[in-house]
Formats: sequence, C-alpha cells, structure tokens
Amino acid sequence: MTALVFLLACLAATAQEVTLTVEAPESAVAGERFRIIYTINSTDGQFSPPKFDPSFSVQGPQQSTSRNVQWINGDMKTISSTTLIYYVVVGTPGTYTIPAAQFETKKVAVSSQEKQIIITAGGSPQQGAVQQQGQVKAAGDAPASGSEVSMKILLNDREVYAGEPITGMLKLYTRINLSGIQELKLPDFKGFLKEDIETLPLRSLETEVIDGVQYGTGVIQRFVLYPQVSGEIRIEPAGMTVLVQERTGARDPFFDDPFFDSFFSSVSTVPRKITTQPLTVKVKPLPEPRPADFHGAVGSFTMESSISGTDVKLNDAVTMTVTLKGSGNLNLSGEPVISFPQGIEKYDPKVTVRSSGTSSGTKVFEYLLIPRNTGTFEIPPLSYSVFDPKAEKYVTLRAGGFTVKVTGTPGQEESAAPVYIPGEDVKYLGQDIRFIRNGKTRLATVSAPLVSTLHYWLWFAFALFVAVLVLLVRKQQIRRNADTAGVRNRRAAKNARKRLARATALLKSGNKEAVNAEVARALWGYLGDKLRIAQSDITRDKCYAELRGRKADEEMITELDRILTASEYSQYAPVSEGESPAALCERAGALIGKLDDVLD
Amino acid sequence: MRRILLIQFVFLAGIVSLAAQTPEERYSQAGGLYGSGDYSGAAAIYRKLWEEGFRSRDLLYNAGNAFFKSGDNASAILFYERAKLLAPADEDIDYNLQIARSRITDRFESVPQLFFVRWFDFLALLTPTNIWAVAALVMFLVALVLALVFLTKARARGRLLSFWLAIAAMILSFLMISLALRNNNLVNHNSKAVITCSIVTGRSAPGETGNELFVLHSGTTVTVEQELGAFREVRLPDGNKGWIRSDCMEKI
Repeated sequence: MTALVFLLACLAATAQEVTLTVEAPESAVAGERFRIIYTINSTDGQFSPPKFDPSFSVQGPQQSTSRNVQWINGDMKTISSTTLIYYVVVGTPGTYTIPAAQFETKKVAVSSQEKQIIITAGGSPQQGAVQQQGQVKAAGDAPASGSEVSMKILLNDREVYAGEPITGMLKLYTRINLSGIQELKLPDFKGFLKEDIETLPLRSLETEVIDGVQYGTGVIQRFVLYPQVSGEIRIEPAGMTVLVQERTGARDPFFDDPFFDSFFSSVSTVPRKITTQPLTVKVKPLPEPRPADFHGAVGSFTMESSISGTDVKLNDAVTMTVTLKGSGNLNLSGEPVISFPQGIEKYDPKVTVRSSGTSSGTKVFEYLLIPRNTGTFEIPPLSYSVFDPKAEKYVTLRAGGFTVKVTGTPGQEESAAPVYIPGEDVKYLGQDIRFIRNGKTRLATVSAPLVSTLHYWLWFAFALFVAVLVLLVRKQQIRRNADTAGVRNRRAAKNARKRLARATALLKSGNKEAVNAEVARALWGYLGDKLRIAQSDITRDKCYAELRGRKADEEMITELDRILTASEYSQYAPVSEGESPAALCERAGALIGKLDDVLD
Repeated sequence: MRRILLIQFVFLAGIVSLAAQTPEERYSQAGGLYGSGDYSGAAAIYRKLWEEGFRSRDLLYNAGNAFFKSGDNASAILFYERAKLLAPADEDIDYNLQIARSRITDRFESVPQLFFVRWFDFLALLTPTNIWAVAALVMFLVALVLALVFLTKARARGRLLSFWLAIAAMILSFLMISLALRNNNLVNHNSKAVITCSIVTGRSAPGETGNELFVLHSGTTVTVEQELGAFREVRLPDGNKGWIRSDCMEKI
C-alpha cells in the first residue's frame, strides 16, 4: 500500500510542475522577529536553504508537509506541499537581500526569487508595512504613537517596612485596538520576594477615562511583593510586545467612519514593544530592638489558640492549634515558640496558610502532642510579637495556655503497641575551665635537686668504698682462719707422734700417770686438729659423730674409745690394774696411723 | 639571756608579719579575688608567689585558671604545663589545659611521643626528684649489703637468694637514679617554651635578616633547641625548626 502511494505520488509529481515560492516581509524592525516562508508543491527532493546574510540570526526551519488526494470525476489528483519557515531577527538596520533557495528533485532543480528586505531602526516603524495576505499597505499612513499604548506597574505603597507586603499589578493602557500580547517580560524584582496572584488572562479591556482621555485598560498580572532588604530598591522596567491592529488601505475622506473603515479597509497587525518606567520603593528597616518572641511577622494580626482536649489518656495524641489571622506577610511569619512541659512529646507543627488572594488570610500551626507521663501539665500562655507597620511598633499577641490532665496507668503501654521513649542526652550548654582549688596547700620553696650536687654522688662512692673495705677485711679474716686450720690439720699426726714419743720417753721414768696423760693429750689433740673442733668444746660423742660422718670403721671408734677410757682411767685408778703404759702407747700409735689413712 | 633572745624573736616576727603576709595568706587572698571575679589581680599574686620560688600543684593550677579567665591564654597554658610537671596524673589540669589549648590560633598535627617515653616521664614526675634521689641511694645501700652477704657468707642458706636480691636492688637503684635525673630535667631544665607574643615570625637564621619560615601565635608550645644571643632555635610540634626572639617566649 505504501509502495502504491509512493508510486502515485511519483506519478503526480511528474504530472505537475515543481514550484518554489518565497514569502518574506518587505521591511521589518531591527531587533524584532519576522518570518521567511518557503513553499514547495512537492514532498520529495532536496531543499537547500539560501545563504543568509551574516547579520541575520536565523532559527528554524520549521518544516511541515501536507498531501491532498482529490477525486474529481473519477480522476485522482494529488496535491502535496512542503512549507519551511525561518524565524529571523536582524540587529542592524539596512537593506538586505535574501538570496535564492534551491530545490532539487530527481528530475528538475528550481530556485526561488531573490528578495529585498528593508530593516528599519527600532521604535515605532516609520514604514510599519508588513506584507500580509499579499496586500501592500500604503506608505505614510502610520498611526502609531508612543502614548497610544502604555503599561504601568502600580503599587499600593511605595514606602514600606521590611517584610510588609505590597500588592501590585501590571496594567495596560491603550487607545487603539490590540490583537494580542506577546513576550511579557517581568523584571526580576531584586530585593523582594514576589508572589503571583492568580490573574485571569486578559480577554477584554475595561474603559477608563484618565485626564479626559478614554483608555482601554486591563490588568495583565497581579502580585504581592515582600521586601527582603531595607533601603531604596529599584524595580527594573517590565517589557512586553503588543500586537497593534493598524488600518491599511486609503482612507476615504467622505467615509471617515470606523464602521466603514473596518468594513472596507483591511487591517494589519504590527508588533510593538512597550516598557514601563522604572520604580523605586523605599524600604525602612524594622526598628530595633526586636522582641525575643518576634519571628518575622509584619502586618496586623490576631492570634488565638485551641486544644483538642484537656483531659486525655496517656499516649493519646492531643492537637494544639495556634491560628494567626490578619493581613501581612503570613508566608514569612515564623512559628511561635511554645515551651511545652517535659513529659509531653512534641512534634514539629503542621503549618497551613490559607490566603484569600491578597496578603490577608490565616496561618494555622498545628502541634501534635503525645503525653508520655501521667499527671497535670501546664502549657504556658504564649506570646507572639508582630510588627504593625501602621502603628509603626511591635505588638505582642497573646493566647491562652492550657492545663492538660493526663490519666492512665503507665503499665498499659506494654499491652498496646510498643512505644519508644527516647532517652535524652545530657545537654551541654558551654565549656569552661574548672574552678580553682581553695583548700590549704603546702607552699614550700623547693630545695635544690640532689642529683645536681656533687655530695649526693659522693655518697654513692663512699658507700661503695665502705662495702669494698668491709669485704676485704672479712675476706682476709676468712683466709687467715682457713690457713690455721689447714696447718693444724696437716700437722695433726706429726704432733700426735711427738707426744707419743714423749710418752715412751716418760715410760723409763716409770711415771705411769704422766705417760697415760700424755697419750690422752696426744689423741685429743690429734682429733681436735684433724676434725677441726676447738679443744675447749671437744667431747667423745662429738668426735665419734664426726668420725662416723667421715666413714671411719666402727672398729676404729671402739678402739679409740677403749684407749681413751684406759688412758684416762689409769690416771685416776690404782697402778696395777689396766694395761701397761707401753702397750697403750703402741696401740695409740697404731690407731693414729689408721685414722690418718681414713681422715686424709 | 634567753629572755632577751625570745623578746628579740617575737619582735622580729612582728616586723616580718607587718611587712608582708605569709605566702599562705597571700595564696588564699588570691583565691578570694578569683572568686569575686578579679582574675587579673589573682593572677598577679599567683605569679608573684611562683617567682618567689613557691611551688605547689594547686598554686600553679590556680594561676593557670586565673590567667585563662583574665584572657591571657598563653600564660594559662604555661602555668598548666608547669602544674602538670608537679602533678602528672591530675585530671583537672589536663581538662583545663585542653580547653585553653582549644582557644589558641595555631593548630598542629603533632607527632605523639613514644608510649614508653610517655610512661617513663609520667613515672619520673610522680614524686619530686629528691625523693627519687634518696630512694635510689637507699636502694644502692641495700644492694651493697646484700652483695656483701652473698660474698662473705660462704655456706649460708640464703646465699643464692641474696645474690638475686642484690641484683634486683641494684637495677632498681639505677632506675631510680635515672628517674631522678629525668624529673630534674623535666622540672628544672625543661626545654619547652610557650609563645607569649600575640604573633611572631620564625626565621631561618638568628636575627631579623633570616628568611621568614612561619608565623606563630600566642599559646603555642615549642621546644627550644639552642640559644644564640637574643634568639632561640625552636622546634614546632610538627617537627619544623626556626629561630624566634627569646623575649617572645617563656620557658616552662
């Protein structure tokens, strides 16, 4: 099917001649937009746009195609066309040429006519002639004049306090017919917070007589301004393009009648730029000092408070409502600060502003409160300061407080949904050093450090010296002791034999007692030296124990015991009894020889 | 004769008390001034006591507080640092010093001391240097006696025990000597100083001609490395060095 249509279109295209027409105004105002329209009665082919002058700023093209299929008396006729629209703005006045555009199909190439265009300087066009519907307006018949169409920003007050709302509007005044409004450009109202008031689109003008002149007026935009800074604030001009309807065609001097004018002559639409005058608004700062409970509200207000219930159950929500009513900067009024008692959980208020078109209305703060403890709680009366620009002073609004009685058992909350009771961190308000100590203190001048004095270190040296001295003395003593004992040990047997020899010498003299005493002395001396026992505390038992300790034979010990007994006994007993001293001497000598073997 | 002496003594004491209050009285007077809000007056008395050589943890702590309250942050830090040398474990001093430090201009990424240096310093500051010194001497004597016992008692039962005890006592004695020396170094020869000028330039050489390296503000603690004329070479907490006029700092 598509192929068929294409084929038909091709057939149609071959059937008729391809044309490229151009439409452009003969003149235009510098800086204003005009259109150049190319129309081609074909849909397939390559359009190459003209080379526009560099001073042209071109937008587009906006392309549209249309195809008509007609059946006339059984013949199918297809009319297809392509329209390309360029939007052009030329900045500098002068005469320009729009060169020809090209259109190429597979078979033919056509080009459009060249066009001349006159760009006039800005303001009201001297030749407001716009080619419209192929009609040419006669030159020299320009009705335009500056005062015929104008626009104004109207403010209800030009000297206000910061934050005090100003209602304003942008109003159009005209003495001529307008067909429409284009490109409304409002200034950016620096230093103000602007709030648009819904304004109906301008459909018809009202009649108003100003200074005896009748104007058609209309409000384009209403708004409220809230000055944010103080001082002289300038409002930049607003700009707008209006479409002015202008009569074209020769005016008949005999039928100078609007009715006939509109009937017989045609009308053309001319865009015209209009601007407002710049304005200044004097904004006074709010007087100081500001009350503590002032939160930016400027205007005349009343305030009231209400609560949803004063006798409530534990953990049941209560709503406290504070309503601010009046005219002023409701949107910018901050919430009142209410110090709710501890034990009541408070949430951020829900704020609703109901404004009745202008700046008057109500602002409602709804505080959701949940009592978390039982008892009676006092919500204090609240105060809220507003600045009244009429009275030029701060007015403190007051609303009543409430007493809320909370009942219920705290344990019940377990059975209900678990309620999270947030613990609260300790609030630290500031930081400061700790206080001084005022107790008694021991103020003493510090003595010089010992470590930096010589005598301290000399003490160490002295102690060391004394210790070494003590050690040396003691060592020597020990050595000496050790030496004498050793000598005596070594000479023990020798000394004993000497004594025994003396004893045998005494035998000849026949003094038995003396011999026995000498033998006993020899034995005791030997034992004392050999066993390192002092003669003063030597006993038989000590000697025997020591000998046994040194692995001496029990036989030797009994022999020793016998000799000792015999020698001592014979000293005190009568002479005849007992052994002969000679035998005793011999036995003692033999024993010492044996002992020497064991003890060395 | 004795009576005359006594009379003379009483007379002398009267003159002294007329001439000046006792340090304790002045100390409590400064406390009263502090309580009534005359911080700079209290600070002056505390400082005078310090300059006369009186030392006490509370005196230095109170001096720091008085200087802090009178707005002299640098002196407050100086006295807190001094107090810390007398009482290293005092929590109030640490707290106030930290607050005073938070109000000074210069911020440093300071390199923390090694933990054993910190521990050793802490131990050294726990008692005054002289107590460490005496303890070291006593410990030395104990070690000598034990050594003598070990060396002379040839066959005594506790010979081995006395040997080890002597070694331990000797080690303890040397440790105490080093603690006494460290304490003396920290308290009497501390190389740290606090900048007292509100702003001072650190230069690369002593004198006003050296290249400017850094700018310090009052309250910053620096370490003095050497001294040359009216200039001192200081090391900043971040490790950089520079020369600063000596009259712009006060040693701890």
